[in-house]
Parts: sequence; structure tokens; C-alpha cells
Amino acid sequence: MDEVTKEKLEAIRRGELSIVENVERALERIEKLNPKINAFIEVNPEARAQAEELERKLKKGERLGKLAGLTIGVKSNINVLGLRATCASKTLENYVATYDAEVIRRVKAADGIIIGMTNMDEFACGSSGETSAFGPTDNPAALGHIPGGSSSGSAAAIAAGMCDLCLGTDTGGSIRNPASHCGIVGLKPTYGLVPRQGLIDLAMSLDQIGPLSPDVYGAALLLEVIAGRNPNECVMLDVRGVELADELNVDIRGMRIGVSPKFEELTELGVMEVIDGAIEKLHDLGAEIVEVDLPHLEKGLPAYYLIMSVEFFSATRKFDGRKYGKRIEEVCGEEVLRRIIRGRYISRKEYRGKYYQRALQVRTLIRRELMSALERVDVIVGPTVPKLPHKLGTKLTPMEMYAYDYLTVPANLAGICGGVVKAGEVNGIPVGLQIQGKMLGEKAVLRVMRAFEASA
Amino acid sequence: MKMMIGFEVHQQLATKRKMYCDCPTDYRDAPPNTNICPICAGLPGAKPLPPNEQAVDAAIEIALMLGCEIVVDRPIYIQRKHYDYPDLPSGYQRTSSPIAVGGELGGVRIREVHLEEDPGQYDPTSGLVDFNRSGVPLVEIVTEPDMRSPEEARRFLRQLVRVLEYSGKVRPEAGGAMRADTNISIEGGARVEVKNINSIKGAYRAIKFEVMRQKAKLDRGETVTRETRAYLESQRITMPMRAKELEEDYRYIPDPDIFPLIIDRARVERIRASMVEPPHLRERRLVEQYGIEPSTASVIVSERELADLFEAIAASVDPKLTASWFRTKLKKVLNYMKLRAAEVRFTPGQMVELLRMVKEGEVTPEQGELVLRELVKKPDGPRLIAQRLGLGRIESAELRAAIEQAIKTNQEAVRDYLAGKREALHFLAGKVMELTRGRADPREIIELLRAELEGGSNDGE
Repeated sequence: MDEVTKEKLEAIRRGELSIVENVERALERIEKLNPKINAFIEVNPEARAQAEELERKLKKGERLGKLAGLTIGVKSNINVLGLRATCASKTLENYVATYDAEVIRRVKAADGIIIGMTNMDEFACGSSGETSAFGPTDNPAALGHIPGGSSSGSAAAIAAGMCDLCLGTDTGGSIRNPASHCGIVGLKPTYGLVPRQGLIDLAMSLDQIGPLSPDVYGAALLLEVIAGRNPNECVMLDVRGVELADELNVDIRGMRIGVSPKFEELTELGVMEVIDGAIEKLHDLGAEIVEVDLPHLEKGLPAYYLIMSVEFFSATRKFDGRKYGKRIEEVCGEEVLRRIIRGRYISRKEYRGKYYQRALQVRTLIRRELMSALERVDVIVGPTVPKLPHKLGTKLTPMEMYAYDYLTVPANLAGICGGVVKAGEVNGIPVGLQIQGKMLGEKAVLRVMRAFEASA
Repeated sequence: MKMMIGFEVHQQLATKRKMYCDCPTDYRDAPPNTNICPICAGLPGAKPLPPNEQAVDAAIEIALMLGCEIVVDRPIYIQRKHYDYPDLPSGYQRTSSPIAVGGELGGVRIREVHLEEDPGQYDPTSGLVDFNRSGVPLVEIVTEPDMRSPEEARRFLRQLVRVLEYSGKVRPEAGGAMRADTNISIEGGARVEVKNINSIKGAYRAIKFEVMRQKAKLDRGETVTRETRAYLESQRITMPMRAKELEEDYRYIPDPDIFPLIIDRARVERIRASMVEPPHLRERRLVEQYGIEPSTASVIVSERELADLFEAIAASVDPKLTASWFRTKLKKVLNYMKLRAAEVRFTPGQMVELLRMVKEGEVTPEQGELVLRELVKKPDGPRLIAQRLGLGRIESAELRAAIEQAIKTNQEAVRDYLAGKREALHFLAGKVMELTRGRADPREIIELLRAELEGGSNDGE
């Protein structure tokens, strides 16, 4: 899957592929594959008409935006005017968005076509795609296995070629984890780079919207479209915009790439072998491999689950059964309920010091640790998920499920960026290489991702 | 009986826009749920805009007027206070950690000042919710329990309301925008909190009721336990709140969607430089600067515009005369006409001229009051008004003629007076007033009458 997005855009520009045809192909593929993969919850009935409109503009010689006619799948926790923002929950089963999220406005302004709303773990609570009230999603790259989560439908849609690009969200790994399991490209941007206005919260201080794509170019392009400050939002970095897609093909000779022995401790052998091979390749491409120390990395997981649960508890108070039909606690799945109850419990006045404040301290520790490591290197490279995806239907304990997130939550806690490219396979199951960068270090991360992709 | 009373007072700030979105703050005249957006309606995915700077400035100014120290150069967190109620669109209310601490008003210490947002309005009868009010900025003022009687508490609230009105930064009281919680404890009992108070009168009644209730309990040998009660305006009593409301733990967390507020010193100084002088300080200054009575100064500062007018006039004419006219005459005319000082349309210069006419004896004080009444009704030059009303000092010959006429036609009264009935003199003076159509100074009439009658009787002997 090399440069498919770039090639498609060129084909559209040259008139070799009509936008209407592109949309029709996507719709056909969704119709054909979705009953099995279950990547989409809803398809946009306006997609074809929008394609025709763009086609007319193109024929009149008008310049189209950066996403000119590409089909974009949107995770179901992002508001798209007129489509359902279900969060894959019974709570919002019939909730039709009344406004466009800021990222959607930007995608539309760049002439991207929203093809539909993708499946996900309920309220983004899960790492397997199995907690959706609309049923689990299959992994097109390893059928019968979980696609990972929580952006399960977005990753599966890309892996199955159902659309060109997808938006996902990443709170503790929800873009990177399914990108890894599905063998595609995913990127969690720096916290505060992409507007969250219109994103239904899991945990506000950790959530970030980002791209999933078959290639690095597509991820860079979509990020370029959605990134940059939104004056109508509080907690954002003051970054006007970023140019990423045209500066990918710079080799990585002389780049300093950090690896930590901690990764090996936390990761299954088979996965680690693939990752070691990938690191070897980066070395061959001219990067300098430097060992960095991340002594407290694994403490990020419990801290993450406490902070996330408290924020999630707060965020879900509006689903009180008065405005959106159903009270969340009465209709949600057990993982969502578990997080609400945990959040309610540990935010109690008498426990604040014991759990929440403590978790915030650990968060500061992890942030300092990663920041200081990233002062010595350009990026940190390692596995995305410490183990292979389980077979759909296997019953895991909550702790086994949470263990998928060991290596992805630190980037969220620290607010840094992290991208994933396919590193290889174990028994035909994809394994993703995670490249973590500094705050606003997307350019360096994408450069390494592209160099690795190009060498495959 | 020793008691301690404290308050938490909430008042809406008079901003055009809501606290975290751009919706207008008009919630009374707008049809239900029209001044709302995804943010103040709490729709899934909506994020707050940065806090309304106008509201922050207003709260700073009010805090400064209360003598508080502003929390400067340190993060002020916007907290989420969680509770479940139909009027709360997101299930939490945003409230800041203190933006100011350590003030004082009339001997009552101000503990903290916070910024909050109003919830929507819920009508339990119909079950309808109107979110127009949701997100309107509020200032919350928390006192120490420094008041020692219901009367003291009432006096403090009056003073506080006056400060708030003076600031010009809160919505006018007319909307019933003041809301207060109070805590009351009497010696030997625990602290009781009373919520749901909507007026100064209500606060006074609630506290009186509580003091009686608590005292009766203690007298019976029972204990007063720590609890939260609600004031029922209609029955003028307090009632325990439901157990569910008591167990409430608000689970405060800093709102992750809003950067902490940081107020720098320059901002505070800028606000301080243009700040309105608070009434309690102004009262003190008026006494010192103009040498007037504290009780008069208190009347003058009751309205900011009244005090402004006073100072504009006292700059050009005897301040003591001005003060006494404000207290006795102007206030009376305004009260009679149900006008606020802000509605006065005559110029300070016009009243200066009037007071000079009085001082120079051009008109009597009584005539002056008639002119003042006209001045308030329909501003014009006071001399013109006096002419139009046919006022003005009478020529002494005319006055003497009137006095002679009164004596001549009221011989009975004259006899009464000479027989020692002092009141008869007033009757005669009244007759002179009638004859001169009020143009003569009553004091002068009395003097002349007395001289005439007593002189006349001498003649007769």
C-alpha cells in the first residue's frame, strides 16, 4: 500500500478517475464488505450528490481543495451535521448531530466527501472494537481477529479499502492500536494541534482527533487539513497551520532515533522480533539508534485509567436521560459502566488525594521522562501494542484488555505525537511500528514513517 | 445570645455575552430556548470558548470595591461542580477557584470572590426547561460568619447590594437577580446552612426563623445538628432538604477544556485606576471632605448618581446647604415622584443656581422647594421657573400692607394672641401667606407680625 492516496489524487486531477466514480466505488465496496466487516454504522446519503457537485466544479476548471473528492470515513464520536453521532452506544443510538465538528468543517472546506460514520468501541471505551452497541468489527487484515480499538471501524474501513481516509480519535492509543492491528497508517497528533470542538468526549485532557490512512502521504495530508488553532476553542496550541505532505520524502540519514529497553520488557517476543527488524532497517537507512531510559513507562497505564475515568465520568453527566432519550448508566455496555463507576468512585472528595491527584502526579512524571528522552533524540521508536490481537469473541479480563494500552498511553499522558506504520507480520497478523515525537514533532515522525514505508 | 451568620451571595453580571459562548444574555424577554447554542445547551461534543473577559473584569472590579486582594499571576482553575438537575445541561456547573480573597465591607470580612455560570430555568410544574439563562455569568461573594444578628445580616446585605449596584457591573435588582445562601449558628449548636433565598427581606426572615427554631431546640435541651435547609418564601419558614441533596459530593475537577485563568497585576491596576469608588468609602470621604453629617452622607451615597450629583453641586455652592437640601428636599421630591437619581434630568448648574437664589434670599426655602419640584418635572432655568410660578421676594411695602390687612380683618385672632394664645400668630401668618400668594418668607412674616402686634398694643396703652 504505497502512496495510494497520492496516486488517487493525481488520477482525479488528471481526470482519469471521476469523483463520482470514486464515491460509487467506495459505496459499492461498503455495501459488499460491510455486512462482514461491520466498519460502518451509517453511510452518508448525500455523498453521491456531493461528488457530483465537486465534479461540476472540477469541469468548470475550478481548483479543488486538498482532499479533492477523496472519501472520508468519520468515527462516530465526531459530529457531522445530519448524520448520527452515536458513539456506538444505545445512549445516543438515534442522536443526529445538529452541527459540524470543526474538523468536519475543515474536511468539507478541503472538498473531502464524508462517506459515512464508522464503528467504534462504545464511547471510545475499549481497545478491541468489541464494545460497540452495533456489534464488533472484524479485522480485514487478519479476519476473525479484533481490529483493535477504539477507532476500530475507521481502521478496518481503510484496511478493507472501503474509503480513502478516515478520522479517528486517540485518547490512550485508539488510533495507533487499530492501525497497528490492521496494518495501516495512523497518527495521533500533538495534544492541542487539532480542534476538538464537536468531538464527543472520552477524556478531555487526553483526546485528540487524527488521521488513519493506507499510506503516510494520506495521513500527512488529512492532518494538514484538520490541524491548526481554532479561535473558538480554549485548550489549543497557538499553531496556525502545518505543511506536512510535501515534505515527507526527506531521507533520515543522521536522525537520532531512540529505543528503550523498557519496550522489550513489556512486549511479546514475536511482536518484538518484528519491531527489532524494523529498527534495524531504520539503522540501515542511515539513522543513528540511541538507547533512552524510560524507567517509569509502565506506571502510565494505571495513571491513565484513573484520569480517563474521572474525566469520562464528568463528560457523561449530560447523558442523564432527559435530553438524549436514555440515561447512559441504564443502557450502556459493561466497560462504559465500569469506567463511569470507577470515575465516580475515585473522584469522591475523600479519595481525591489517594487516586486522582496521585494519578496526575504520575502523569507529570511520565511527561518529564518522555520530554527529557526526546531532548536527546528526534523520535522514539518501538512497538505500538505489546501483543497480537485476540480472536473475536475471546473473553478477556479488564486487566488483560487494558494491557493492550501499555505502550500507547504514555504519548497521551505527555501530550506528544505518535505515528504508526506497518512493520511486518507475525503469522499473517500485522504488527505496527510506533514512532513517537516531540510536541509538534509531527514532521520528524512523518519523515521516519515515510522513509520506512518507502523502503518496504 | 451569641450567633454567627455568614453569606454566599450570587449575582448576575451585566455582560452582553454569556460566560463561555457568544450567546446574548437576555433570557427574560427572548422566547424560551432561542438564545442558545451547542455550547450553552451542552450538546455532545461542544467545547467552551475562552472565558468572557468582560465578566472577569467585572468580577475583579467588584472584588476590588469590596477591598479584596486579587489572586494575581497564579492559575485560577475553572472547576466543574457536578450535580444532577434538569436545568443543568451538562450535569455540572462551572465555578472558578477564588479570583480574590480577604476583603471587608462594613465590618464583615469577605472570604472569597468566585466566577460562576448560571444554569437554565426549570419549571417543575410543566417539566419544561429553558436554557436561555444557561451560561450567564455570575459573581459569587462568600463572607466569613461575622454577623451577629438578623438585623446586622440585613444591614450587610443592603450594603452589599449597594456596592454591587454602584459597580454598574451587575444586572439591576429588578430582575430579582440576587440569590443567597446563608449559614447560621448560635452558641451551643452546629452550623445550619439555608439555601434558596432570593431577596434581602427573604434573608432576614429566614435568619429570624432559624434563630428562633435553633434557640427553641436548644432551650428544650435538644441539639442543633449540622444540616442544610431550604427557605420557603411562601411560608416564611426553612425546611430540611431531601436526604439525596445532602449526600451530594460535587466531585470538583478542574475543567480540562479551559485553560486556568491568570490575572496579571497590570490588569488589576488598570481596573483599579478606573474603578467606581465604593459607597461605604465614599460615605466616609463625603463626611471628611464636606464636613457633613454621617447620616446625611449615608442618604446621599444611597445611589451612585445621587452622590455624583451632590459632588458636582457642592463644588460650587455651600456643601452643607447642598447636603441638607439633598437629604430633606431633593430626596423627598424624588421619592414622591418615584424617581431614581439616575433619572434626574436637570443639570448640576441649575440646582447650583437655585441654591444660590435661596442663599441670597431671592426666594424662600419653601419657594425653592416648589422650584425644585418643577426642576425635576421639567428642567429649566430656576429663575424662569420662579417667575413662571409668580414666586420671588415680595416688596416690603406690599408685605406690610398684607400684614395690616390680615390684622384688620382678623381681630378675633389678634385678641387671642394678645390674650396669650401663641398659636393665633400662626393663623395670622397663614392669612398673610394667602394674601401674598406664598411669596413672603414665613419667618419674616412672623417677625413682622409680632413686631406689629406687640408694637401696636404698646401704642394702645
